[in-house]
Amino acid sequence: MSVLPWCVAAWLFAVGIYGVVTSRHYVHLVGCLSVCQSATYVLLLAVGFHWNAGPPIFYDHPPGTPAVDPVVQALVLTDIVIGATVTALLLAIVVQVQKLSGSVDPQRLRPLRPNA
Amino acid sequence: MTDPASLLPLAVLLPLGAAAALLMLSHWLPPRSADLAATIVSLLLALFCGWLAWRGLNQPLIHWFAGWTPASAGRPDVRLGISFVADAPSAAVSALYALLFAASFVFSWGYFDKVHAHFQVLMLLFLAAMIGFCMTRDLFNLFVWFELMSIAAFALTAYPLRESSLEGALNFIVTNTIASFSMLMGIGILYARTGTLDFALMAQALAGHGGALAAGGFCLLAFALLTKAAIVPFHFWLSDAHAVAPSPVSVIFSGAMVSAGCFGLFKIVIGIFPLDRAVIAFVHDGLPWFGIVTAILGGLTAWAQRHLKRLLAFSTIAHLGIVLVGVATLTPEGEAGMLLYIGGHGLIKGALFMIAGILLARFNSCDEIALYGRGRALWPAGLAMGVGALLLANAPVGLLYRAGDVIDNALGWRAESIAAVLSSALTGGALLRAAARIFLGCSGAPGPERSAPTEREREKSDRPLWLMLLPCCLLLVLALLPANLLEPFLRRAARNLLTASNMHPAVMNGAPPDALTPSAFLTPGLAVALALLSILRLRPVGRFARFAARLETLPFRVLHILHSGLVTDYVMWMALGLSAIAMVFYLR
Repeated sequence: MSVLPWCVAAWLFAVGIYGVVTSRHYVHLVGCLSVCQSATYVLLLAVGFHWNAGPPIFYDHPPGTPAVDPVVQALVLTDIVIGATVTALLLAIVVQVQKLSGSVDPQRLRPLRPNA
Repeated sequence: MTDPASLLPLAVLLPLGAAAALLMLSHWLPPRSADLAATIVSLLLALFCGWLAWRGLNQPLIHWFAGWTPASAGRPDVRLGISFVADAPSAAVSALYALLFAASFVFSWGYFDKVHAHFQVLMLLFLAAMIGFCMTRDLFNLFVWFELMSIAAFALTAYPLRESSLEGALNFIVTNTIASFSMLMGIGILYARTGTLDFALMAQALAGHGGALAAGGFCLLAFALLTKAAIVPFHFWLSDAHAVAPSPVSVIFSGAMVSAGCFGLFKIVIGIFPLDRAVIAFVHDGLPWFGIVTAILGGLTAWAQRHLKRLLAFSTIAHLGIVLVGVATLTPEGEAGMLLYIGGHGLIKGALFMIAGILLARFNSCDEIALYGRGRALWPAGLAMGVGALLLANAPVGLLYRAGDVIDNALGWRAESIAAVLSSALTGGALLRAAARIFLGCSGAPGPERSAPTEREREKSDRPLWLMLLPCCLLLVLALLPANLLEPFLRRAARNLLTASNMHPAVMNGAPPDALTPSAFLTPGLAVALALLSILRLRPVGRFARFAARLETLPFRVLHILHSGLVTDYVMWMALGLSAIAMVFYLR
C-alpha cells in the first residue's frame, strides 16, 4: 500500500487543527472540525484497502475472493454517524450562543469573565 | 440456575432501557416519577456491579455478545465477537459510578421540573456509557462508549441554555471532539498493526517490540484519554465545563467522568500494551511527570480561584494528577491505591459540588467573596464543606488519605511526594478559606483570588435543604469509611488483573503499614495554616507591602491569563501536548 493516504490523513488533521486554532467564526470552526474528522475517514479506509480486491460482498462471488476489509468500513460508518451528531449539537449550540450574546467569534466568547 | 455471565449485558441494558422507557412515557408520567425511577435504576446498578466485582474477583465473568465466542470463528487467531469482561476493578469502578449517579439523582430531586425527564434520560445514557466503557474488551466498542459518554456530557453541560454554560459547552465539545478523532485514528493505526480489535489478541500481537506503529497508536489513544482525564496541558476545558454545568452534573463530571479517563488509560495499558516494552517504559517513567506537573499546577490555580465550582474543578485537576501517578506505577499495590483514590476522590468531590449547588440554589452565587458571611444560617452545609476540605487535604482518616499513601509508597519518587503534599494542601486550604469566608464570615483581604473569573448564576431554589444535604452527607460518610475495608479486596483484584495480563509488574515496595505517624498531619496542617494566613491577611498599605502583594499575585496572574477561556488557545495547547508525548517516545 502506498504512503500517500497516510500523508493525506496527517495533512488533513494538521490543516483542520490549524483552522480551529485560527478561527474567527464558530460555524467556520465546526467546518474545520469536520476537516479533522475526514482525516480519520481517509486513514481508516487506507488501513483496510487492498489492491485488486473487490467490495466485501460475497453474494455473487465465491467466499475467499480478495476483498477490502469490511471492519474498517463499519468503523467509518459509525464514525460518520457520531460526527453528524456532534456537528448537529455544536451548530445548535452556536445558534443559541448567537441568540444570547450576539456573537459567534470564538476569540470573543469566554465562559467566565475575569473579574477586572 | 442460569449462567451468571449471561447477566452481564444487564449492566448497560438496564440504564439504556430505562432511559428509552422514560423518554417514551415522559408525557404521561406523574411529576417526580422520573426522579424516582432514575434513582432506583442507579441504585440497582450499583448493587449489581458490586456483586459483579465480588463474583469476578478470582475469575472474571465474560460475556460474548450474540454468542460470537472465540470458538465460533473456528480459528484461534480470529475473534469476531465483542466481549464484556467484569473483572473486579472494572466492576468496582462501575459500582462507584452508579452510586454517584444515585446520589446525584437524589440531589437533583425536582431540580428539572419543566422538561419532560430529559435530564434523567441523558444522565442514564451517561451512566450506561461509563459502565460500558469500563467493561468492554473491544477497542472500537470502547470508542463507541467513549463517544456516547462525551455526547451525553456535552448535552448536559449546555442544558441550562445560559450564555456561560453554552460557551463552556462549546469549549468542552471542541476540545473533546478533537480528542476522540485522535482516538479513532489511534484505533485505526493499531488495527493496521495488529489486524484485530480484541484486547487479548492485540496484546499478543504487540508482545515484545510493538514498533513505531504501535507507539504512534498509543500516543493518539493516550492523548484522547488524557484529555478526558484533564491532565496538563490537556486540562483547559475542564474548568470551564465544570464551572458552568448544572451542579448535579458537575458532581458526575468531577466524581466519575474525569477519573474514567484515567481508568480507561489503565485498562488500555494493561489490556493491549502489557508486553510492549516501549509503551510500558513510557508509562512507567514518563507519565508520572505529567501527573506531577498536573498536581502542582492544578493546586496552584485552585488556590487563586474565588468561584467555588471553578475552585473545585481545579482541585479535580490536581487530584487527577495523583490518580495518573497511580496508573503509572504498574504494581498491584499502586493500582489498588489508584482505584481507592478514584473512589475516595469521587465521593468527596461529589459531596463538595453538592455544597456548591446548595449555595447556588440559596444565594444565586457561589463566589466566596460575594457570599462573605451569608452562609451562617446554613451551618450544616458549612460543616460538611469543612469536613470535605479537610479530607481533600489528606486528613489521616478515610479512603483518600490511605490511597495517597499507598500510591506514594508504590512509586517512591520524592518529587511525587512533594507534589502530592503541595497540591492537597493548596486545594484543601483554598476550600477551607472559602468555607471560613462563606459560613463563618471570616474575611481577610483577598489575595490572588480577587482577580479570578466569576459569575452569578441561578439554580432552582425551592428544594428543601435536608434533601440536598442528605446525599452529600452520605457520600462524605462513605469517604470516611476505614480504608482497610476495601483495600485488601482491591489489592487482590489489581494483582489478579496484572497477572492475567501476563505483565511482569515492576518490583514493588509493598504496601506501607497502616500506622498513624506525626507526618500524617503535615498536609492537613499546611492546609489549615494556608487558610488561616489568607483569612487573617491585612490589606497591603505600605509601599513595601503593596510591592510584596503584587509580586505574590504575579505568578497567579500568569495562570489566569493561560486559562483564558478561548477555545482556540486550548486546542493550541493540546496540539503542543500531543507533540510533547510523541517527542518523548521519539527521543527514548
